[in-house]
Amino acid sequence: MRVLGIETSCDETAAAIVSEYDGSFVIEKSVLASQAKIHAQYGGVVPEVAAREHAAFLFPLLEELGVPRDGAGIDALAVTYGPGLVPALRVGVEAAKALAWCWGKPLVAVNHLEGHIYSVWLDGEGKIQNPGTKIQTTQSNSVEFPAVCLLVSGGHTELVLMRDHGEYELLGMTRDDAAGEAFDKVAKLLGLPYPGGPEISKVALNGNPRAVNFPRPMIESGDLDFSFAGLKTAVRVFVEGGEVGRWGGDLDIADIAASFQQAVVDVLVSKTLQAVKKVVPRSVILSGGVSANKLLKEILESELRRVAPEIPFYVPELSLTGDNAAMIAAAGIMRAKRGAFADPLTLVADPNAKLN
Amino acid sequence: MTHVIRTEQETKKLAGEFAQKLRGGEVVFLNGDLGSGKTTFVRGVAQSLGFHEPVRSPSFTLVNRYKVSSGGINEIVHVDLYRLKTPDELRALALDEEIGRNDAIVFVEWPQNAQGLLGESTYSIDFVINGDSRAITIRQQSLTPHQPM
Repeated sequence: MRVLGIETSCDETAAAIVSEYDGSFVIEKSVLASQAKIHAQYGGVVPEVAAREHAAFLFPLLEELGVPRDGAGIDALAVTYGPGLVPALRVGVEAAKALAWCWGKPLVAVNHLEGHIYSVWLDGEGKIQNPGTKIQTTQSNSVEFPAVCLLVSGGHTELVLMRDHGEYELLGMTRDDAAGEAFDKVAKLLGLPYPGGPEISKVALNGNPRAVNFPRPMIESGDLDFSFAGLKTAVRVFVEGGEVGRWGGDLDIADIAASFQQAVVDVLVSKTLQAVKKVVPRSVILSGGVSANKLLKEILESELRRVAPEIPFYVPELSLTGDNAAMIAAAGIMRAKRGAFADPLTLVADPNAKLN
Repeated sequence: MTHVIRTEQETKKLAGEFAQKLRGGEVVFLNGDLGSGKTTFVRGVAQSLGFHEPVRSPSFTLVNRYKVSSGGINEIVHVDLYRLKTPDELRALALDEEIGRNDAIVFVEWPQNAQGLLGESTYSIDFVINGDSRAITIRQQSLTPHQPM
């Protein structure tokens, strides 16, 4: 099966063609408006808040992808229908509906978070990958269910139980700020540029993660929910309260960044381990933009090895951690194989779409 | 009027009292630094209007929506312009579809990033951090709910 994926749920406009042979996925090509050559050609830099610009970039991206205008060779279309920003989602959904209708090809509606989960079934462009990029070696060559998934990005922090393809249960989520958002806001407090996640990690390399004992919010709340707003405030109080000076200048931004990052990672790892203990899964998946964080990957991997060495741990390849359309196409392929199609006459974008 | 608040519970109580004044169609600007209690205030309003799921920060998602059913109010639209670099990007949010809806309350965090493009608000609320306490000042800007953009 060969599927065209389209993703426009937030800032990124993305399209990809993914093929599936006997359960293995191949990304034939995956393009992002933020990286594509179309910049110069179609109006310069993509603004950070791109929503309505998706309309300007989507068809040039499909051209770059090499999609034939009659849809020849495409078996189905997969599009993100939510969650996200309505005017942004609409661009992708309406384009996909129109193409599916014109071409007479089946349409699949994919939840953005489901897409992020499927990013671990993929490898980089052009490479054939048996499902699952395993970090820990086991006998199995595919993600086994049930799987506990930690999804962390700028807009999401959720623990999801995946019972099977397309079967999800929300175990816990953030009650206020997402982890990625906390990174961005603390970066701003520390005077670091946007996006803050990679900047904090970079600066933290030279810092002492035990310099400041920031709170680990809700780490012992007994449920699997998160909260990062209070941690952000604790960093602000610390920075603005002159604590840095009071420590005789020993502490610098690197120490604060390292201590903050450690606090976030500790909470994410602790809650994931609590989820693992609770549901005893057969796989653990880390995905979303913050899965690019090296410290998070390393600590989660080593803690899982310690408490549950038999459970394989999956993370997406670095190039697939952010928003992209290949993951939407992959999730779409699995939905299409089950016959879970959407109606191009009635599909609407759903800003509050839930995983189910 | 300025209220000095010491706990999250007090912020929510004040938000609950504020919610009683709302009729639908209002636009509320929330001004204050990171961590000053803007999202907590919206959470308090949403809960008192019957929304019981988590109210999360829209800083990254830009717009969050909470379905409620209270009098003529069916939805709270929670907007955060924190990430906006230029007012041009406001078009991306299609707020002209939300502002002026008489069955919705629109809360806007970081309204200064719109540089006046959103027009007047019905209420403007300032959040000022003073050590462990917060000073919350609620001002009514216009007597009638917001007119369509």
